[in-house]
Amino acid sequence: MNFNDARDLFWLSGGFYGIAFLIGFLKNFRREIPSFRNVPLFSIAFGFLLHTRGLYLRGLEIQGCPLGNSLERIQFIIWSLILAYLILRIAWRLNLLGTFCAGLATFIGWFSLLLPNGDFPYWLAEDYTRLFSNPWIELHASIAIFSYGIFSLLTIVSSMYLVQKKALLSRKYDLLGSFLPPIHDLEHAAFRLLSIGVSFLTLSIVVGGMHWTRHPEFVTSTKLTITIILWMGYCSLFFLRFSNRLYGSRFAKTSIVLFFVAIFSLSFVSSKIREVSATWMPSTIHLKL
Amino acid sequence: MINEFSNSLHLLGSSHQIADMAARERLSLPPEKIDDFYNGLKNLPGLDECLLLNTCNRTEVYGASHSSFSPQVLQQYLGEFCKIESEFLKRYCYQHSGEKVVEHLFGVASGVDSQMVGETEILGQVKKAYDDACVRNTSGKILNRLFQKGFQAAKWARTNTGISRGQVNLGNVLCELSRRIFGKISNCRLLVVGSGDVAESAMEAFKSRGSQAITITGRTFDWCPLSRRKPDELAEKYEAFALSFSQLKKSLHLFDVILTSTASGQALINLEDILSCMKKRPAKPLFLIDAAVPRNIEETVAKAENVFLYNMDDVSEIANENLKTRMAEVDRCKTALSQRALRLWEQMSDYSNPPSSITQSINPQS
Repeated sequence: MNFNDARDLFWLSGGFYGIAFLIGFLKNFRREIPSFRNVPLFSIAFGFLLHTRGLYLRGLEIQGCPLGNSLERIQFIIWSLILAYLILRIAWRLNLLGTFCAGLATFIGWFSLLLPNGDFPYWLAEDYTRLFSNPWIELHASIAIFSYGIFSLLTIVSSMYLVQKKALLSRKYDLLGSFLPPIHDLEHAAFRLLSIGVSFLTLSIVVGGMHWTRHPEFVTSTKLTITIILWMGYCSLFFLRFSNRLYGSRFAKTSIVLFFVAIFSLSFVSSKIREVSATWMPSTIHLKL
Repeated sequence: MINEFSNSLHLLGSSHQIADMAARERLSLPPEKIDDFYNGLKNLPGLDECLLLNTCNRTEVYGASHSSFSPQVLQQYLGEFCKIESEFLKRYCYQHSGEKVVEHLFGVASGVDSQMVGETEILGQVKKAYDDACVRNTSGKILNRLFQKGFQAAKWARTNTGISRGQVNLGNVLCELSRRIFGKISNCRLLVVGSGDVAESAMEAFKSRGSQAITITGRTFDWCPLSRRKPDELAEKYEAFALSFSQLKKSLHLFDVILTSTASGQALINLEDILSCMKKRPAKPLFLIDAAVPRNIEETVAKAENVFLYNMDDVSEIANENLKTRMAEVDRCKTALSQRALRLWEQMSDYSNPPSSITQSINPQS
C-alpha cells in the first residue's frame, strides 16, 4: 500500500467506506456491539480523509482539478457525496443515510477502479496541456461536481423514500421499513437537497458561462446543449415540486432518472479531452504504459 | 451443599406463568392492604429486607436476610394474610432462593417473563415497587443492589436483543405506522370516527406519545344521546376535540391520520371524498385505518396517491409478526440474562466459585 499513490488511496478509502457500511448495516438491524457504536461515522470520516488525499495527489499529478477521465469523475462525485453527507450529519443524526452513502461509495468507487480504460493517463501525453488553466473553470468544474454529489445524495434519499413507501403499501411486516426514516421527512429532505443541488449547479453554470463568453472555442456545442438541458431538467423538477405538481413516488423516480441522465452526460462534458486523447492514445499511451 | 449466602435472597410469588386469572385474583393484594402486608413482613423473624411487587399479572415478595431465615415462613405469612390454604399456595406459587432470584428478577424487569413478551410497562412497575420499598425503608443493601442491577439488565436486554422490537399492541402498531409516515407522533393530527376499543387504544397510544391534536367524531353525537359509550366521553377522557359528524367530509384534509371504528355497516368515506381531500394537501400523506367490520372506508381509496389505507387484518398481521420476532429472541435473551445474573451472584456472594443455588418449587411439578 503506497500512501502517495492516488489509486491505492482510492482503494483504501473504499475499504473504510465498506467497513462503515457493514457495521452500520449490522448496527441498524440490532446486532450492535456497543464498542462499535461510533465506528461507522469514524470510518466514513477517515475514508473521506484518505479520499481527499487521493484526489489531492491526483490533482498535483495532473496539475488541475482531477476530472479528466471516468475514474476521476466518479471518485470526485463520491467524494462530494460523502462531503455532503458529513455536512448534513453535523445538523442531523442520519446514521442510516450514512450506511447507504458508505455502501454506494464502496461499490461505485471500487467499480470505477476496475473499469477498463477508466483511468487512462491522459496527462502523460506529450501534448498534454492543463484542461483547466483558468481558475474560473476549475471553480466551475468543482462546483458542478459538488452539485452532482448533492444529486447523488438526493438519489439515495429518493431510493429510501421508494423503499419505505413500497413497504408501507405492502401492508406487511417489514424489517427494513421500520429502520428507514419516515416518508414525510424523506420527501422534505429530498426537496431541500434538490434546492441546494440546483443552486450549486446554477452557480457553476454562471461561473462557467463567464469563461465561455471569453473563450467560446473551449466549449463544444454538445457540452453546452447537454449542460443546459440538464440544468433545465433539474430546474423544472424543482419548480414542479415547489408548486406541488410533482411529488411522492413520481418525484422520487424522476430524481433518480435525472441523476442517471446527469451521470451519462458527464461523458459528453469533457469532449475536448477525448478529441485530444483520441489522437495520441494508440501511439503514446501504450508505449508509456 | 448450600452455602450460607445463597439463603440470603428469597422469592415467593405467583404469576401468569403458573396461575390462571382466578388464582391471581386471590393472591393479588388490594392497595389498601399493602401497608398492613409490609408491617407484617417486617416482623417476620430473620427477614431483614423485603419488597412487594404487585401487578395485575404477578404478586411477588422479595426478601433478604443476613442470618438464617426459613423461606417457609414467607409462604405461611402470605397464606395467613390472604386467607389462602397452603394447598392452593403449593399449586399456584413458586419459591426461589439465591442465584435463581437474581435470574428471575432480571427476566421480570426485562419483560422476558411477561405475558406480552418484551412489554415495557413491567419495568416501570418494578421501579415503582422498588421506590415504594425504599420509602418504607424495607429495602437495604442487598435488595438495593439486586434491583439496581435488575434495571441495568432490563435496559441492556431491550437495547441488545430483539425482545422489544416492533409493537404488539394495536394502538402502538398504529403509532409505529404513523411514525413511519409522518415522523413525530406529537405532530400528527388524529381524527377518530367512532368509539370502539381500537379507537380508544389508538387515542391512548397517540396521547401517550405527546399528540396534542386528537379529534373525535361519531354518529352518536347527533342522534343517539343514550348510546352506551359516546364519542364525547372519549373526547373528555383524552382531552380531545369533538367534531360534529356532519362536518366529517368537509374536514378530512385537516387530519393526517383518520381512524374509523363505527358500526354503521356502510362506507363513510369513499374515493371521491379522499380525492377532494388530497387536492387540498397534495404533497402531504394521509394515513387511513379502517377498524370497522363491515368497512367504513371504500377499498378503492387506496388507489389515491400519497394515501395509505390499512384495515384491522393488516394491523393485526403486523402485530403478530412483531410478536413472532420477539419470541424468537427470548431464548437468546434468557441465556444472556442468566449469565449476567450468575456474574452478579458471584459478586454478591463474594465466592471464587459460583455457589450452588436452590430452586425450591413448592409444587414439584410446576
